[in-house]
Amino acid sequence: MSMQTLSLSQELPKRFNSFFEQQFNHYKNKADFVAFKMISETTRDFTVRNGNPDIMHTFHDIGVLIEIMKDGHIGYGATCELTTDGIARAFTTAEKMTGISSQFPVAKFDMSVRPKSVGQFKSSRQTGLDQLSAAEIYDFLKKTSMKLKISDKIITASAEAMVIECRQKYLSSQGANFEQDFNIIVSAFSATAQDGTETQTRSLHGGRGICLQIGSEFFNLDNTLADCEQTSREALELLTAPNCPTETCDVILAPDQMLLQIHESIGHPLELDRILGDERNFAGWSFVQPQDFGSLEYGSPMMNVVFDPATSNQMASYAFDEVGNPAEKKYLIKDGILQAGLGSLESQFRSKLSGVANSRSSSWNRAPIDRMANINLEGGSQTLDQMISSMENGVIMYANRSWSIDDYRRKFQFGCELAKQVKNGKIVGTLKNPNYRGITVPFWKSLAGLTNTDTCETYGSPYCGKGEPSQIIRVGHSSPYALFNNIEIFGG
Amino acid sequence: MKTYIKKFSESLFATLKPQEQLGLFLHSEDSTFLRFSQSKVRQNTSVHQHEVTLQFNKEQRTLKMRFNLTLDLTHDLQSATHLLDDARVQLMQMDPHPQFIALKNNGQSETFKKVDRPADSEIPGLIYDTYKDTDLAGFWCSGPLRQASINSEGQFHFFETDYFFLDYSLYNGPKAAKGYYSAEKFSMAEFEAQAQATKNKLNLLNRPTQTIPRGQHNVYLEPMAMAEIMGTLAWGSLSQGTFNKGYAPLKKLKDKEVKLSSKFSLTENFDLGYSPLFNSMGELSPNKIELIKDGELKTMLTSTSTAKEYNIETNFADISEAPRSLEVRAGTLETKDILSKLGQGLYLSNLHYINYSDVQTARMTGMTRFACFYVDKGEIVGPIQDLRFDESIFNIFGDNLVELTKESSVYVSTMTYLKRDLGAFKTPGALIKNFNFTL
Repeated sequence: MSMQTLSLSQELPKRFNSFFEQQFNHYKNKADFVAFKMISETTRDFTVRNGNPDIMHTFHDIGVLIEIMKDGHIGYGATCELTTDGIARAFTTAEKMTGISSQFPVAKFDMSVRPKSVGQFKSSRQTGLDQLSAAEIYDFLKKTSMKLKISDKIITASAEAMVIECRQKYLSSQGANFEQDFNIIVSAFSATAQDGTETQTRSLHGGRGICLQIGSEFFNLDNTLADCEQTSREALELLTAPNCPTETCDVILAPDQMLLQIHESIGHPLELDRILGDERNFAGWSFVQPQDFGSLEYGSPMMNVVFDPATSNQMASYAFDEVGNPAEKKYLIKDGILQAGLGSLESQFRSKLSGVANSRSSSWNRAPIDRMANINLEGGSQTLDQMISSMENGVIMYANRSWSIDDYRRKFQFGCELAKQVKNGKIVGTLKNPNYRGITVPFWKSLAGLTNTDTCETYGSPYCGKGEPSQIIRVGHSSPYALFNNIEIFGG
Repeated sequence: MKTYIKKFSESLFATLKPQEQLGLFLHSEDSTFLRFSQSKVRQNTSVHQHEVTLQFNKEQRTLKMRFNLTLDLTHDLQSATHLLDDARVQLMQMDPHPQFIALKNNGQSETFKKVDRPADSEIPGLIYDTYKDTDLAGFWCSGPLRQASINSEGQFHFFETDYFFLDYSLYNGPKAAKGYYSAEKFSMAEFEAQAQATKNKLNLLNRPTQTIPRGQHNVYLEPMAMAEIMGTLAWGSLSQGTFNKGYAPLKKLKDKEVKLSSKFSLTENFDLGYSPLFNSMGELSPNKIELIKDGELKTMLTSTSTAKEYNIETNFADISEAPRSLEVRAGTLETKDILSKLGQGLYLSNLHYINYSDVQTARMTGMTRFACFYVDKGEIVGPIQDLRFDESIFNIFGDNLVELTKESSVYVSTMTYLKRDLGAFKTPGALIKNFNFTL
């Protein structure tokens, strides 16, 4: 690897580090509680299409979020004006609006929602992304893009990578002082095949589903070239494949579809701020009620779901959430029974329910809210061959391409890129346009099999949307293959 | 900001070497966000965000570099110079860009708009006082937003607008009605009237809930429900570049295999005034682009980059080729006649989480949301349980489109992912027969 790098990604946080600390010390006693968070993030977002440069963007994002507590209400000021005047403007505006808002607060918090955490976190990596040159990323994407173009019928062969270096630093008047250093890669490889009126797109694990905390060792060309060739072959195969039939049958969902199933029908309904009603106007409410924790039979007894921010290399691993709550693994659903919600210290304070360390924001310009992190479905005992052998009539669906669910997270309809038809325990063909629909709790109660831990695959999304003002957040989901009985499926 | 960005860009242009070009695109906002639940403040956030994207062109190659301005000129020039020095090295290690567009001078313009609105400090009390008898969830957004497109060839376009919106819903337990207020001039009478109208709608939800079976039903889509469909349509469906790359929900319409109703027309209409005429390259769009006229697809949004790649005409869409100011042509249906013309069916105030379920047939799926009612004999019977629909645009705005309302509503974009979005939708309501519900 070259030592050449986008030096601004390293220089900016260094340039502002002492300024940040000095400004925090100046303001830390000017309200009941004050915290400063600095986020510095460099993203290299490159796409190579049909072997040619398409998108070549870099983004150096740095700014400060100021938290102020007045009379139990917490308000925020955010600025990229990293000057003495800029911080003063942000602090003054935030202090004024927080004071006024504290007369009409949803809740009055105490200091327990801002713990005195001290420590550091660094993403697991062999070689840091700062050691990776733009030319090396481009070269990798060019070769993989060209490998995707195995036929003239492939009209679009696209290879994309977002290479992200993110540093967070948090200081509070309670004494919190922690830093986190993330190396993240999001990538996508897709082929769109066209023949006459038929067009089909196949991608490697869905659009930007490959999301990991990892260093530059991610860019393993030989493995990715083989994956790209397979992806394009499947795109061509879809051109002549029959439509997914309309029927009720057994369905196996591959891990690259389970990521979406877990995200939409477990992650979001368990967010305590949704249950408390904060999201009702935008992302929605939840069918889960506060009294359901500890008793709701969410799914089949083989269903075990964890919040696990400590998994090495997974997209949303961290030591502390963004208000300093130490992060640790917790069962959300154990043996099919709902145990705990995805609620930050503020939501736990308001609801008196058990939660997790998940107060997170998209960047320095948004206030932290309850978010998912790594939400994983634990593996079972079967091999994939055993699971398929057990199917009399059904389909296996791979890689999400369409998603929709209601605002209470009950009625969903999801579509996938490709399906394999199974008859009498054997794969007999490929199907295009596979879709399925269901209702959350009955669907999870129909869970009839999970492949073993060795078959679990880890994906994620950089684009989970929520909040007013809106925010995107990075999430990770790991899952085995999962078998569901009696599911409504249909085609295009 | 105008003075600052002018000085900043001029200083930077002076550092360029021969055969180099530099473009700057500015997004700057000083925003107040107030998030409400139970009619009280959940979070208040004040944001000062100024980001500039440098487009560096050299020898048929292009690199875009975005960074935040601190508004300290020395520091900002130091960062920009650093990026340009890196770019000079990196670009030469990459291949020439086949869609390379040389920068040119697309002229100069300055636009400043400011609505008359209450001070931010008055809003928490105003919302609480107006809605304390109910349960409001939602958010207030206000403050100036600026965009500029400047380049080393002499171009300077600057747009600043200071506006507000309140996007909210009211609750009576699980029953909810959606409200929205934005105006060129804040009027307390108007504000209170719309609040009362939303409260009245919420009261209608006290009637017994109706269970509606799956299948086809006649529906009336309020303008806000129409805006949800338009929002999904805006996501790649109207882009020429996306179409050519294989994502083509409107292919059958473009190929004239299907025709929509002659009542349906869709225009990119900058005369609405919510978006600047210039795109991020500084290119000036025509004031109106007819995308669908009388049911036929006339053109798609085409950027100069797509035009170059496929050797077609540009209409100066932005690089994303997403509409920025979309208008559905109004019809003839009077508001007072909506329920009687619907007769028996579903009155849908809002739709939610729409996505294509089958791109090739332009089939969309989504949910009903907020105040949606069963109507019989031209009268509201009661609210419905949420339903999932799965229906093709070719049916919705094709043979099944009965009538569009005479009155339209304008919705300033409430999108705030990463930063505030400029733009608006203007749309009437629509009466549609045989709308397909699946769950």
